[in-house]
Amino acid sequence: MLWVLFKESLFFAWQSLVANKLRSFLSLLGITIGIFAIILVFTIVDGLESNIRGSIQSLGNNVVYIQKWPWDFGPDYPWWKYINRPVPKYYELDELQKRCKSTEAIAYRMGKRRTIKYKSNSIQNAVVAGISHDFYKIKNFDLTSGRYFTQNETDAGYHLALIGASIAEGLFPNEDPVGKEIKISGHKAVVIGVIKKEGESLLGISFDYQVITPFNFARYFLDPKSENADPIIYAKAKPNISNAEMMGELTGIMRAIRKLKPMGEPNFALNETSLISKGFDGLFDIIGTAGWIIGGFSILVGGFGIANIMFVSVRERTNLIGIQKSLGAKNFFILVQFLGESVMLSTIGGFFGLLLTYILTALGKDIIDMDIGLTSTNIILGFTISILIGIISGFIPAYSASQLDPVEAIRSN
Amino acid sequence: MGRPKIITFICIIGYLSVVFTFPQVFSPQIKKLGVFIPAIYGILVAANFIACVGLWYFKQWGVQLYVISVFAKLLFYILANQQGFGFYFNLVSSFIFIIILLRFYPKMNQNL
Repeated sequence: MLWVLFKESLFFAWQSLVANKLRSFLSLLGITIGIFAIILVFTIVDGLESNIRGSIQSLGNNVVYIQKWPWDFGPDYPWWKYINRPVPKYYELDELQKRCKSTEAIAYRMGKRRTIKYKSNSIQNAVVAGISHDFYKIKNFDLTSGRYFTQNETDAGYHLALIGASIAEGLFPNEDPVGKEIKISGHKAVVIGVIKKEGESLLGISFDYQVITPFNFARYFLDPKSENADPIIYAKAKPNISNAEMMGELTGIMRAIRKLKPMGEPNFALNETSLISKGFDGLFDIIGTAGWIIGGFSILVGGFGIANIMFVSVRERTNLIGIQKSLGAKNFFILVQFLGESVMLSTIGGFFGLLLTYILTALGKDIIDMDIGLTSTNIILGFTISILIGIISGFIPAYSASQLDPVEAIRSN
Repeated sequence: MGRPKIITFICIIGYLSVVFTFPQVFSPQIKKLGVFIPAIYGILVAANFIACVGLWYFKQWGVQLYVISVFAKLLFYILANQQGFGFYFNLVSSFIFIIILLRFYPKMNQNL
């Protein structure tokens, strides 16, 4: 019985919407813009967040970076404390590998932008990295062709290179790069493998534009003592060993290697990826809140628009309400009829808002080459807000219509 | 019987609280709690608003819905672990309002 009543009320509501097309369109426009604004901002923020978190994840949750500079995103970064610190050295890697018990792998990397040439093709500003052998145990990357260095090749500093997918596309547009000889700052190196394409990363840590060479070969064109080469020692914790535990051991060994006094300040930094995540958390909160405020105002305006149109609708159909009531329509029937109309209006508005968001993100995805898309969470949120705004803005006009006296309602013009 | 001034006051407070809590439905903080949390919270806000409309018209169902929405909202805050100053303020003020509303309950209109 209740369902029949509800269905009939919705039918009346639908008829009213169809009868006043322009008015219905204008009143749902406010909700469309509001939902579009909110969901678009949430979709972009979610897309950026997942891209950045994915990039951070690829750095490794259980990897600690031994560097000169600590990662700190605060406003009062005391750079003067760190400026005179030494950079991590390659011999420190050997010592760490010998002494450290909590690590699964320790590796060294330095890198700088250099020009890469193959015959008449060249790529400027490619990142050329010199690595120790265990680098592959720290960083996850797949090869589309070729192979990784052998232990002997990295130790002896063979003139070999692994190149990123974009480098391969740029230097070897129509041929297989494996086995070809490239020039890195004038030094010849044979390509032994191509790294699988990773795509754009907002943190700029993709392997696509990188050339990886053994450390002892990279010394010809990179200075490991220079800060410009950004030397890093990576340490990956063994399974079941926490980062804190490994960092404790690393701190002790590094202090011993550098012969620091027991109470003296350390002259190295142990950085974790969680520090980057924390740095971005604040940024995402600000963007999300800004979108929330902007979209909130749009929704509020849209809600007032719907409330206004519902009052007009009730006023226009007062006579009809009187006839319906005199024929036996219950208050509840009138209430559901008008409430249904308002909810239907705002839901259709919300649907168009979501559709607009979908179209815009689909177009934007190709332009900015980033994985942005409407998530189920945002779709549910969009419809939730639409339905709620319909209920809240339509309830007072609907309730006042349901309370009309049938005799007076029929008499009204 | 006309609507007493104290009930008008409770309704105005209720409407204002809806204005301030409605934007919370789609706030990043609520969104983080789960996929359906904004929808649940939204239903509670809407119920609170409808209850205030009922009280404005001096209807018994307004009090009934108000009591249900207050308890549901408090339960929501407890389950979502959101027990800040707002929670305790809400708790105390809602109980005072419920006591006042129950005093007028027998004089209220029973119809929809």
